[in-house]
Amino acid sequence: MSLFVASLGFGLVTASILAIAAVGFTLQFGVTNILNLAFGDVMTASSFIGYIATTNGVGIWGAVALCALFGAVFSTLLNRLLYTPFVRHGTKLFGMIVVTIATSLIIQNTIQAIWGPSFFSLKFSPGGSYHIGSMVFTSSQFGIMAIAVASMLGVYTLLRYTKLGKAMRATACDPALARSCGIATDRVVDVGWLVSGALCGIAGIALAMNVTSFTSTTGGTFLIAIVAAAVLGGVGQAYGAMLGALTIGLSSEVAAGVIAPSYKQVVAFVVLVVVLLIRPQGILSEVAEAKEVAA
Amino acid sequence: MTAGDLLVVEDLRRSFGGVHAVDGASFKVQSGSITGLIGPNGAGKSTALGVIAGALRPDAGRIEFDGRDVTALSPMSLARRGLIRTFQTSSEFPRLTVIENLLVAAQHNPGETLRGALLGGRRSWRAHERQLVERARELIAGFEMSDKEDEWAGNLSGGQKRLLEIMRGLMAEPKLLLLDEPMAGVNPTLSRSIEEHLQRLNRDGLTMLMIEHELRVVERLCDRVVVMAQGKVISEGTMDTLRTEQEVLDAYLVG
Amino acid sequence: MSVAWQFYFSTLLIYLAVDVMAVWGLNLQFGVAGISSFAFIVFQAMGAYTASVLTLGPEQGTSFQHYVGGASLPFPLPVIAAGAAGGLLALLVGLVGIRRLRADYQAMVMLVISLTATYVADNSTHLFNGPAGLSLVPKPLFGGLNLSLVNYQWFYVGLCAVFCALIWWFVRRFTESPLGRAMRAVRDNEHAAAALGKNVFGLRMTAFVAGGVIAGISGAVFVEFLGAWSPGSWLYPETFVFFTAILVGGTGNNIGVAVGALLVPIGFLESTRFLPNVGYPGFVDALQWVAVGVMALIFLWFWPRGVIPERKRRFPQPGEAPRTIGRRLLRSRG
Repeated sequence: MSLFVASLGFGLVTASILAIAAVGFTLQFGVTNILNLAFGDVMTASSFIGYIATTNGVGIWGAVALCALFGAVFSTLLNRLLYTPFVRHGTKLFGMIVVTIATSLIIQNTIQAIWGPSFFSLKFSPGGSYHIGSMVFTSSQFGIMAIAVASMLGVYTLLRYTKLGKAMRATACDPALARSCGIATDRVVDVGWLVSGALCGIAGIALAMNVTSFTSTTGGTFLIAIVAAAVLGGVGQAYGAMLGALTIGLSSEVAAGVIAPSYKQVVAFVVLVVVLLIRPQGILSEVAEAKEVAA
Repeated sequence: MTAGDLLVVEDLRRSFGGVHAVDGASFKVQSGSITGLIGPNGAGKSTALGVIAGALRPDAGRIEFDGRDVTALSPMSLARRGLIRTFQTSSEFPRLTVIENLLVAAQHNPGETLRGALLGGRRSWRAHERQLVERARELIAGFEMSDKEDEWAGNLSGGQKRLLEIMRGLMAEPKLLLLDEPMAGVNPTLSRSIEEHLQRLNRDGLTMLMIEHELRVVERLCDRVVVMAQGKVISEGTMDTLRTEQEVLDAYLVG
Repeated sequence: MSVAWQFYFSTLLIYLAVDVMAVWGLNLQFGVAGISSFAFIVFQAMGAYTASVLTLGPEQGTSFQHYVGGASLPFPLPVIAAGAAGGLLALLVGLVGIRRLRADYQAMVMLVISLTATYVADNSTHLFNGPAGLSLVPKPLFGGLNLSLVNYQWFYVGLCAVFCALIWWFVRRFTESPLGRAMRAVRDNEHAAAALGKNVFGLRMTAFVAGGVIAGISGAVFVEFLGAWSPGSWLYPETFVFFTAILVGGTGNNIGVAVGALLVPIGFLESTRFLPNVGYPGFVDALQWVAVGVMALIFLWFWPRGVIPERKRRFPQPGEAPRTIGRRLLRSRG
């Protein structure tokens, strides 16, 4: 029982990182309708930016801010310089997948060419550990959870209460209609990438904070869980992704703790398969069928 | 149901969210007729057609085709029973040539089974294929598109794609052809020629149910007309009898 | 030719044969039936593992590797079983992945399947020896033939040619028949195909399983030559290499994709494998992957139909003599 509760604690931390990443992934997909499979690798790039920053004396919170900035700028540039030109060039759904996977490979292997295949760790002190029942958290893990809660509240506020958020939701529903209603969809798309990129950057450094070491493929591997969380919540649905992340994060850590560590990733996959089997018409078919790619 | 009815639709219902797109529609299509399905925008014509063709599931109601209950069958099984539809937007196979678009529509092709394709050679499907090519060429010639036979279907003009779609439907040798605005977006000359083709096909015995907006076209082509408004059939009969009914005109004017 | 060069060329030819078989399989799934089959490499891996454990003898108590099976089957049987295993796995994956999914969605699902399969293989050490993989798989007929090492290489090249010929025949049975035409119709517009009475799911599944069989056979031919196979041999980017080969060569054209296999995996990846490495181990590999990614982007932008695009299939006019096979090959209708 105490093992179960302890893994529940790990699960909360994993779910926090997953929530940041999955909301970022799904938000951008919702607005632009491009499935960005390079998301995990941008996370990895952020982890390495965090590594550079912390080894050069930047404090961990400064590094988090830096990573958010990096992720936002990098993702927006990625869209402006690569994805959007391809969409305007007439590249269709499958072609865009090739584009994002190619991008993923390029980023991942550029990182590997620079840093090599070895493992790295952020240089920071995780702080003392605190016991809550049989759950143990370091102060940096509390930090991760706090960032997650803050990010989720931020996204909620953005989508719910700001004019921009409403414009984003409108663009997500129907880009053509949104445009004809006078919404500057280009700007909305940019904001979508900025926000998604910032979350991606934060998730990247949070992941690096939580694991003992990371390498050029760490983010790419994490993509399974991100995709599973996003699909579970309904791709494009920010709130769904939060719930999906919580479910996947908790269940995978509990499975890892109670059954065997190797079950961690498999849980995410099983969830994905079950969702696909239960919704055979395709998850969120209404999104899947009708919409055009907006960029 | 009388012996002459090929299609009988009874109390068909289908809603999207809270909108009752088709709200208890009943009508019949007589064998050998061209039946027009008309009504204002949003009357539920396309939804009704989609439900009949199996693309949409009905919430309630019954569809009888060729003497059998076919309610909620898949588009595939309906097509195999001889109910073929065309689409409102062009839906050619762009990376197949024009003649291939036709050939693929032929039903019960022995070369399309795994056994036929893997084991069959000259003897099993090639002879059949030659007959199909011949029939496809006749159809293409009948629509005066012989010079386009080997063109990628994706390269055709909008009007040519409409013709292709009708040819493709015919290649399947349907008992009933459902046409969703076959003349939409086509120039007047081609539109007139499509009309003539449809009339010729009807004389040869083909039954058709078509959605059409242009009342003059309906008048020239259709033996019988079904008028829908707000998801219901408000009138059904010959064009002449309908002309006297004020309700029809109202549906158009107000709708 | 010196012995070293003979080794080099024969090895390249064997790699080429394996890749050509693989891209034909993937082309059937993607180029013909339009399935975003980003789990393709898993079927090849399944074939390789199946052939390995059926070729290897029973596991000894002291053995350094652990695996299921161990049947010591004679040569063609493990390859045939590998084809069956690849097809069976494709059937299972197809039940999840071949549904009415948007192309990019489907690609994402398949990619996740591929990543998970690697993860499972890495972590279940008693299935196929985990991350270390299987090794010391005996080469087929090696003992019986009494050939020198280099002559055995050339013998294996011949064996590969036979397998390629068989797969070519098999693939053409699909692509040049009405069945393949129906598959292409489904690829182009599934709703219209269904409205014409085509069994969309059945046609896709048929192409998917047939592609899985071919992938399994290619994996078996590969591992019987290499003698070793581990999760590192079939990471998901390998599928991307095959997709790039298809894009570069010409989606839907069997000859085009074979040329693509010559250009991308062989010309780009394999040939440099025999050159001296610069930098730390893996540096050249990393740069190669970057280059493959860039190549895919360049072709997608400038030549999305590839160097030998899908050809039109023309039908003989009445009275026109049917074409001979030779002429058909020359026209490379693929």
